[in-house]
Amino acid sequence: MTELTLENVTRRYGTVAALDGVSLRLRAGEVHALMGENGAGKSTLIRLLAGLEAPDAGGFRRNGGALQTDAGPGLRVLHQELTVVPALSVAENMHLGAPFPTRLGLIDWRRLNARAAGALLRLGPAHIDPAVPISRLSPGDRMLARIAATLLAEGPPPWLYVLDEPTAALTAAEVDRLMAVIAELRAAGAGILYVSHRMDEVMRIASHVTVLRDGRLISSQPLAATNEAGIIRDMTGRDLSELFPPREPPPAAPAILQVERLAAGAVRDININLQPGEILGLAGLSGSGRGVLLQAILGAVPLQAGRVRLAGQPRARSIAGAWAQGLAYVPRERRSEGLMLLQAIADNIALPHLGRLARLPGLADRPAAARLVERESARVRLRARGPAQAVGELSGGNQQKVLFARALGGAPRVLLLDEPTRGVDVGARFDIYRLIHALAQTGTAVLLASSDLPELLGLSHRIAVLQNGRLAHQLPNDGLTEAQLLTLCYATKAPA
Amino acid sequence: MTRLRRFASLLGMAAIIAFFAWQLPDTFLTARNWLNISQQVSMLAVVAVTMTVVMAMGDFDLSVGAMASLSGVVAATLFVAGWPVPQALAAALALGLLGGLVNGLLVSVIGILPFVATLATLTIYSGAAFLVSGGRTIFGRDIPQAFSDFARGGVQIGVANGRPLLLPALTLVALAVAAMCWVVLEQTNYGRRLYAIGGNAQAARLAGVRVTLLRLSAFGFTGLGAAIAGLMYAARVASANPTQGDGVMLTAIAAVFLGMTLTENGQPRVLATLAGVIVLGVLDNGLTQMNVNSYLREVMIGAIILAAVTLSALSRRRR
Repeated sequence: MTELTLENVTRRYGTVAALDGVSLRLRAGEVHALMGENGAGKSTLIRLLAGLEAPDAGGFRRNGGALQTDAGPGLRVLHQELTVVPALSVAENMHLGAPFPTRLGLIDWRRLNARAAGALLRLGPAHIDPAVPISRLSPGDRMLARIAATLLAEGPPPWLYVLDEPTAALTAAEVDRLMAVIAELRAAGAGILYVSHRMDEVMRIASHVTVLRDGRLISSQPLAATNEAGIIRDMTGRDLSELFPPREPPPAAPAILQVERLAAGAVRDININLQPGEILGLAGLSGSGRGVLLQAILGAVPLQAGRVRLAGQPRARSIAGAWAQGLAYVPRERRSEGLMLLQAIADNIALPHLGRLARLPGLADRPAAARLVERESARVRLRARGPAQAVGELSGGNQQKVLFARALGGAPRVLLLDEPTRGVDVGARFDIYRLIHALAQTGTAVLLASSDLPELLGLSHRIAVLQNGRLAHQLPNDGLTEAQLLTLCYATKAPA
Repeated sequence: MTRLRRFASLLGMAAIIAFFAWQLPDTFLTARNWLNISQQVSMLAVVAVTMTVVMAMGDFDLSVGAMASLSGVVAATLFVAGWPVPQALAAALALGLLGGLVNGLLVSVIGILPFVATLATLTIYSGAAFLVSGGRTIFGRDIPQAFSDFARGGVQIGVANGRPLLLPALTLVALAVAAMCWVVLEQTNYGRRLYAIGGNAQAARLAGVRVTLLRLSAFGFTGLGAAIAGLMYAARVASANPTQGDGVMLTAIAAVFLGMTLTENGQPRVLATLAGVIVLGVLDNGLTQMNVNSYLREVMIGAIILAAVTLSALSRRRR
């Protein structure tokens, strides 16, 4: 059996030790989870394993051999943001870097597709057609195709797969498929180093878990020897009970947001009333229409029927008008729908508030914008070099905080959140939950769409469940369990 | 790294000026020569700063050269038809604005790629210029004295070698247009929103920016700027023909790109564009004075643009 030990691996950038004396053992045939907040040293460890950098001290020992500065052959690192060639087919993408099968010097398309299909089949996902352009595949299927491609390369298949945040862009169903593929790889004798923020996935598939914090190894043990609370404590140095502060019911008041018989895109017949200070969790399977509903409320998706009222007034027709009325929105895809990545933090935060801040109509009031940016950055505990830093240089958690700072800048009356902690490290997650909680206590109504069930149950006063674009259930969040909520997402009737 | 890139571009510009000062000790660093350069680049400056407005959104406009030619021949044709100068100029400018807004409509409302849309209107505007003028150059007595005198005039700012030093009127026009574009892009919410669109149009829309309307209107700037430049050129040479503005489009885009190598995050900015315009103007002026063959001059200017942009691309990749 192949194994790789890391012994006192240290890597410094300038005077900062990104990894400080880390030792751990990776074995073939096991799923080893690597966890830690942003900046804990996970990415550095991956770069060292991939051979992109060499350790400053310590090294790797393979099967008890000599200490070396590289991890040796047989490793395959798959990054969270996969690069594919969109115009080429799945099979061609799978063969990139490997020789294409040829016949009389020309590409043998049939064999190319058959080999790709064979590799896919060995791992399970038989629903992917290797002949279609890869751009038609969902992010999850692209990931599966890339994993299957590792079986096509010449020589023995990799003995260790390093998966870096593989589920960051995947839906729940795609995650399920990936989990099945990982189980398949492990059964075939490969080891997996699974790097993730997502506790539920780690609890599901890992047999070992290693936690890094500030470049140091905090714990490395069999999963059975610890639990969720223990891992979070290791990652953050804080206790799980702080994650969700106790919530008090909002004081009775007339509704601030009224959604009446709304139909837009794939959603139909939506009736929602939201009180000031109330957090309504919006649950539902992927594809149930949560995102469309939020965008329809904002005005970004045209209404086919029904209406939206804010404090009794009809919602403005334009998105700009809706922001001015006190609606604020944090989109699901922060890179494509949220941020101007190359631009300054300050410009990103101030954008929807420019009109309100203008001294003279149309003229930008930079000092006022700078004050707003400073105030909101502090409120969300943004960690950055300064307001002029480009947003793209920030970690995922801090990018998300920029979006929150933008949303809070107008003192919103209703906050629409779509997957607010997606791809966010545990520390930033603490901050975001604290923020949502504090907003609700000061009277902001929150509509929280999320696929993270503990998050929905931990934050919401009430839960609404969407099924195929319709509101199937609305119920108070009293003693609801994850299992019950999941059942509600599938079932058509409320449990007795 | 960004600082190095910006620093290197500035050093390059300083080196160019130092080189010409060394090669042309008597003529290059004189006030008269620099005022001359400012007049030579004034039309390019107007087109380039207005181009900066659409490039802030990540778009560009290929039709500006054709529009400059069209506005020149339209004004000249109206002169021939007996229109008073102000009315003829107003008509030519209105046509430029309209042509720009047509580009905006095609790009933002209909959703055609700017490259394709403005390439098509380039052809249309160019063809229209030939139709209006009948393919001939309009010159001589057809061009009113008042119109061509404007381009020769200026504000006296001193005396050198016994002759008055004039700040050319065309330079003043270019400065006025540049100042207006600077205010629009840097000091108005409109401009900040254009940059947001350039950063991420979908995100800008969800944050309440009226993306369609803004994109449409911003193309009005390039159309109007092209028309102004076309009239400036017609006044300067006291004639109008249907191809005289054609060369300005590529040079203007090159000037904006050169400017982008100077700015933080590589964004198009008005002052940086002006720096790019001046570099191109200085190169052209200095090489001409050194009697460098004009074909070779083009090769050299192209190579220098490539060098600046390559430097910028390399430094970005290393980040």
